[in-house]
Amino acid sequence: MNKNDLGRLSRIETRINNIAKEYSLLTTEIDFEIVPARRMLEAMSYWFPVNFSHWVFGRDFDKNRTIYEYTGQGIPYEQVWNFEKPRALLVKENPFVLNVLTIAHVYGHVDFFLGSAYLQRGRAFSDIAEEARNSTERFHRYGSRYGHIAVEEVIDASMSIQWQEPADPFLDEPDDEEARKYLIEKIRKRLSDATSLYGNQKNIDTKKDIISLEEKLKQLEYRTPPEPVYDLLKYLIAHAPYLNKWERDVLGVVRNQARALSPNRRTKILNEGWATFWHARIMRRLFQEGLLTPSEHGVFVDYHAKVTQASKIRLNEYHVGSALFENIQRRWDMGCFGSEYNACVDPIARANWDTKVGKGTEKIFSVRASYTDRMAIEDLFSDEFIHEQELYLYGIHIDKKTNEEIVYIVEKCPGIIRSVLKEQRVLYGIEPIAVVDGNYRGKGFLFLRHDYHGVQLNELYTRGTLEHIYRLWKRPVYLETRAQNKKIVYVFDGKQHKTI
Amino acid sequence: MPIIIPEHIKERGKNDARRHREKQKEIIKEQLPGIIAEESIITGKPGKIIKVPIKSLEIPYFKSGKPSPSVGVGQGGGNKGDIIGKRKGFEKEKGHKRAGNEPGVDYIETEIEIEELIEMAMEDLGLPRLEEKTVKKLIIELGYKIHGISRSGPPSLLHRGKTVKEGIRRFWAFLNALRQKSGSSEFLCYRSLKQANGNINEAIRLLKDNAVDISDVDEKIEPFPILHPEDLRYRKIQESRSYRSQAVVFAMMDVSYSMDMEKKYFARSMFWWLVTFLRNIYQEVQVRFIAHDTTAWLVNEEEFFHTGEMGGTYCASAYELVKNLIETEYPVSVYNVYAWHFSDGDDFNAEAAAKSIQKLLDMGINMIGYGEIHSDKYTGQEFSDLLKTYINKFNLPVKKEDNFLVWGRDELSFMAVVLCHKSDLWPAIKAFLRKDR
Repeated sequence: MNKNDLGRLSRIETRINNIAKEYSLLTTEIDFEIVPARRMLEAMSYWFPVNFSHWVFGRDFDKNRTIYEYTGQGIPYEQVWNFEKPRALLVKENPFVLNVLTIAHVYGHVDFFLGSAYLQRGRAFSDIAEEARNSTERFHRYGSRYGHIAVEEVIDASMSIQWQEPADPFLDEPDDEEARKYLIEKIRKRLSDATSLYGNQKNIDTKKDIISLEEKLKQLEYRTPPEPVYDLLKYLIAHAPYLNKWERDVLGVVRNQARALSPNRRTKILNEGWATFWHARIMRRLFQEGLLTPSEHGVFVDYHAKVTQASKIRLNEYHVGSALFENIQRRWDMGCFGSEYNACVDPIARANWDTKVGKGTEKIFSVRASYTDRMAIEDLFSDEFIHEQELYLYGIHIDKKTNEEIVYIVEKCPGIIRSVLKEQRVLYGIEPIAVVDGNYRGKGFLFLRHDYHGVQLNELYTRGTLEHIYRLWKRPVYLETRAQNKKIVYVFDGKQHKTI
Repeated sequence: MPIIIPEHIKERGKNDARRHREKQKEIIKEQLPGIIAEESIITGKPGKIIKVPIKSLEIPYFKSGKPSPSVGVGQGGGNKGDIIGKRKGFEKEKGHKRAGNEPGVDYIETEIEIEELIEMAMEDLGLPRLEEKTVKKLIIELGYKIHGISRSGPPSLLHRGKTVKEGIRRFWAFLNALRQKSGSSEFLCYRSLKQANGNINEAIRLLKDNAVDISDVDEKIEPFPILHPEDLRYRKIQESRSYRSQAVVFAMMDVSYSMDMEKKYFARSMFWWLVTFLRNIYQEVQVRFIAHDTTAWLVNEEEFFHTGEMGGTYCASAYELVKNLIETEYPVSVYNVYAWHFSDGDDFNAEAAAKSIQKLLDMGINMIGYGEIHSDKYTGQEFSDLLKTYINKFNLPVKKEDNFLVWGRDELSFMAVVLCHKSDLWPAIKAFLRKDR
């Protein structure tokens, strides 16, 4: 990019900032860095601008690079971090107008970062980039001192459980002593209620209850954790008996990165949809104002089409997300919501419904502020929207003769599609697993429990994960779950797997 | 200005990607027994890229189990039941349970060059070591060749360049010595050395006597060689010879036994790998195919793998044919001889077979292997009279290698194995080629 281009890009960026403000998007100062494609590919693969070395990042880098170099697709165009001062990358080799598109898109993201309750949560970890950068050198030093393979093993192990966290992303679980204090007080209060004349009448406990409460109180004195905890890495950092200081450090870094990124998992459709929705508007303005030339329009249209292309086998958030905001805006502008509209069964009346209430913009901003993807699917993926988007469920069937996998449409019913999409986003791919006992059998074994919700765990993955946890806990690890409608406990004792 | 060109950040993607590929290779190595038996390999040409299904490298995590029949959400036109796409699936070998024991993950297809695979297999075999001890080499005299430099020799081989270089070195050494001894300027020392024609004692005298002529010359030092006898350099001649190593593989198969396609494929794959490995060790490898029932005859490769059922069985007939071939065409003094025999173990005269093998061993054959092919259901308990005879006759202890039974003794160039599954091929090849035997 030459000086002229740089100057022009800078002027356009200033204009985009103003347009964003006119649209009442929240903005802040954003750092745009112009980098070579290679650097962008790394940034996409390493989660943060600079991060520690690990083969998982290398694997993704290799994949992204291959796509970029050999297929000409997947031109890296967008990477933005939700930092205190948001940071985004622009690729030197990209066409000028694609970099403008990226800037417009990033302004959409930044509004989302600042306006969404969930992404604000991610911003609470604003020093995460610095921590990632610093870990690079430190982890390398650990490698030189304790062996690179050993460091890799600990990173592998931490990564295998890094997304395990309480279902509520806003919750930071209390540590043992805090929880113990709270629980003991609660039981004491209840016991005193039971024995006092003036106690809370709702809590009248029987003699038997009182005995069990007293027993519980006794156990609470030494029990770890006092109450099941879901933040596995946090528990291991605090309680794994044989971890070295450097190993705890690695666990801490890996955990913090997951904590900072996990809100993103909950708002993929909305976040990308929002940024795409706004980049389309901002770009339109830039062309109208003559800041971009008609000949650049063609290039823009190509890239915009590429980004928002519908996929046969996955849900393209850029496409479906931006269509959703368009749909919501239209519906709320025309009053297609509320009990009267919902009660109307006449398809023609529904199709022509327009109360000119003009609440579209207000609605999309409120969705941006407080919805997760799951809430949006439940609330806003109407039958009409699902039809209009031509969504379907597909299945894979293996042809025994040709050994080919045949992908076919299984379902087109909006209700079923909605419920499948919703199910996928109840847990966001994280199985709820809690530490129940950190001193199982009084021998310091680790006992975990899976909150079974109808789908059993994949056995191979489960065993592999238990091996990784063993690497950190260094004593036998138990996991209780259900399989084939029976309670089952997986055990790994460092040498072999058993099921009880 | 919010748009900036940042400082250079150290590249790390490539290194980490390399580590990932290393790990992938480790996995390929672990799965060698399965991969080596892939049929696509032996039909491959050099440089061919084969696809091997290996596990994608993923860190295991707590993952929910079986997906329901519907596996995902997609977008586009079409009705219930419409096919929206096809892709190649992965063959899962029956009875091949190994893969299932590792924590990990779906199969992905990775590409690997056949050469790379062979190299990995060779590494796993520890094959390069074979060369030092066991390979017989043929010496071919090629006359003489000039190679290297020596300090003496006939005048005709004088190496002028090297000799002059030595002389110039002596010139500089003398010049330095003169300067130190006399304390005169470099140029004066040079003139005196020149005037004394390189004689250092004369030069010292000239300097002492102040008799150096420095008139009419530029102040320039032009080094010239000063040659003493020890400065002369000569070209060296050596006898020239080259080494050639050659091997022959005798592939024997009992055609009386009705082998189904899969079993025939065992044989094919085994010979392919044997020859491939031997080609990496020897410059020239020949293969002779011998089919036998009660008599043995030489066939070509095509016939070898396609000959149908015949009558009874005398393994000895095949071994005797090998013996004749060694005596007439492939003397063990110049050939490294390998023989492999596939059979189902039925033999009318096991004693004679054992005797014939003894004869081959006495001749100094590198290695002879016996592979008994059984059905999949073979339990490892019962084996044929032929194998029993071999075990008794040669006093072969059984060894378990990678869960695979091998009968053989380290000092004996004979071994026997039983093959039931595709995955037995690799341990069998390994046992056969293992050099320590």
